[in-house]
Amino acid sequence: MSDVPVILVANRGEIAMRIIAAARRIGASPVLAASVADKDSPAARAADRVIVIGASPANQSYLKPEQVAQAAVMAGAAAVHPGYGFLSEQPALCELLEEEGIAWVGPRPETLRAVGDKGSARQVAIDAGVPVGAGVEIDDPTNVVALGEQIGYPLLIKAIHGGGGRGIRLVTNPEELVELAPQAAAEAVAAFGNGALYLERYYGRARHVEVQVFGDGEGNAWIFGDRDCSVQRRHQKLIEECPAPGLSEKRRQLLHDSSRALVKVLRYRGAGTVEFLVDTESEDVIFLEVNARIQVEHPVTEEAFGVDLVAAQLRLALGLDPELPDVGPVPPAAVIEMRINAEDPNADFQPNSGDITRLVWPKGPGIRIDTQIEEGYRFPPFYDSLMAKLIVRAHNRDAAVAAATAAVRNVTIDGLKTTLPMHAYVLAHPDFIAGGIPTSWFGPVWEARKESLT
Amino acid sequence: MGEQPSWQDVLDLISQLNESDYESASVQVGDVSIRLSKNDAVFDAPTTAGRVGAQPRIETGFDTPTASATQPAAAAIPTAAPAAALGDTIDAPMIGVFYRRPSPGAAPFVEPGQRVEADTTIGIIEIMKLMNPIVAGKAGVITDFLVTDADAVEFGQPLATIDTSA
Repeated sequence: MSDVPVILVANRGEIAMRIIAAARRIGASPVLAASVADKDSPAARAADRVIVIGASPANQSYLKPEQVAQAAVMAGAAAVHPGYGFLSEQPALCELLEEEGIAWVGPRPETLRAVGDKGSARQVAIDAGVPVGAGVEIDDPTNVVALGEQIGYPLLIKAIHGGGGRGIRLVTNPEELVELAPQAAAEAVAAFGNGALYLERYYGRARHVEVQVFGDGEGNAWIFGDRDCSVQRRHQKLIEECPAPGLSEKRRQLLHDSSRALVKVLRYRGAGTVEFLVDTESEDVIFLEVNARIQVEHPVTEEAFGVDLVAAQLRLALGLDPELPDVGPVPPAAVIEMRINAEDPNADFQPNSGDITRLVWPKGPGIRIDTQIEEGYRFPPFYDSLMAKLIVRAHNRDAAVAAATAAVRNVTIDGLKTTLPMHAYVLAHPDFIAGGIPTSWFGPVWEARKESLT
Repeated sequence: MGEQPSWQDVLDLISQLNESDYESASVQVGDVSIRLSKNDAVFDAPTTAGRVGAQPRIETGFDTPTASATQPAAAAIPTAAPAAALGDTIDAPMIGVFYRRPSPGAAPFVEPGQRVEADTTIGIIEIMKLMNPIVAGKAGVITDFLVTDADAVEFGQPLATIDTSA
């Protein structure tokens, strides 16, 4: 073994580039585990070595734990960074590597399991004293008024055995609940073979706010502020910012303290995100889930606080000091990230692939671009549509919105349809400029714009 | 990346289509157009590649070598000679450690110069302690092994050359 530790990068696209850069920063040697489609990619050229792990479709390469583990063994890797998506939150790869004595850049497998499903994650949150959404099972669908009062309105009636959005009814008052509960029970029997129901509080105008944590694995936590990711379409984040705008000091403290408590209970190791729903119509703050990985939107936090979270992940996995500072709850800058996807926002966000014939990025202070694409790059059809992340930092939110608007105008990507026109529209919208929009905001606003154009 | 899709790109398209719910697909890359279908009906012109089992048919805008399917460079060379003359290869279908013998000290599965059928085992690839028999995939005479016993191999790496005209 040489003195230079090898980091196997088990991912592709912009996050592979990001991990390679972090490996270089700490003096390690990055090796890329690539599919056939990515063996000549910019990330492959940036790495010290490429190991082809399988065919182009992700289910024959990036999603195969044995193939990735085999590549780690062949590379002589000291650690494997899984990025986000793919195998990043699967205990399977983590455990295969453990058997080989190779470090996993992420939390322990038992942590991945504990937060991996909604039921056990909810229990962990309750144990940590973190606020969770009110929910109650219905014993008798003809006797529900007291349960409804307990939850509060509006609420959802859900079939316990339902799924994929089926078997859900929105109820706004006790009269509706009395009328709809027996119907829902009968339908659940017919549709799912089981009439069990539960009631859950419904938040129609809530924001998505998340807290960036970094645990030392012993129960201690660094908290790197919060992010607002409320500009979403069908639960896909489009724009993220740090800090979350317009949070009261009290709410911010509740979010950060709750996240710290979760890190402690889990003895969480490395970078993670605790997601919350923050209601705009009440004071409620509700725990959603823990994302036990580095997230797509981590750069807004890095830019706001001046840290390198990915390098810190690698250092911790190699048994080194992560070299992170203690920071206050609010960063000294405001940062906005725009996800540039290979999708046509004017055609129902349909993905497209092909050759990038011309590419020009904006330049200037506070502009960061995380991407794999370059002129002549053939954007492959096999994977998700994220092409690049445009990240803009300024001294406050108004300045950041203005700088982001200018930056978006100065991007040229020819050859593919992108989400850039959508970003230009949102950044200029008075609701976004005001800050604090709920996750339900984007869908109808974008539809209304389309109708106003036709 | 070149102007034309490589043969591997085409193979990847086929495997994508095979696993999808789509009946057909059409792809334009530069000045090369590729149409793939699981159903003969969409093609009214004869195609350059034959139908193999349940594989989708392919039709490409450039000369398609029919036998040298595993030679990625072949598609990019317009004047490619017949496949057998180039020497066909048997490629690793997975990443792992390649063994030519069923167990240490045993005789190799096959030796160069030996004739094999498509289902003849030519070696084993071990991936994370799982042993996978590797078959020739085509009939012919093995002319050489390109990796030695117990070598680590990557997906798609040529393991042996085979003369399919023999």
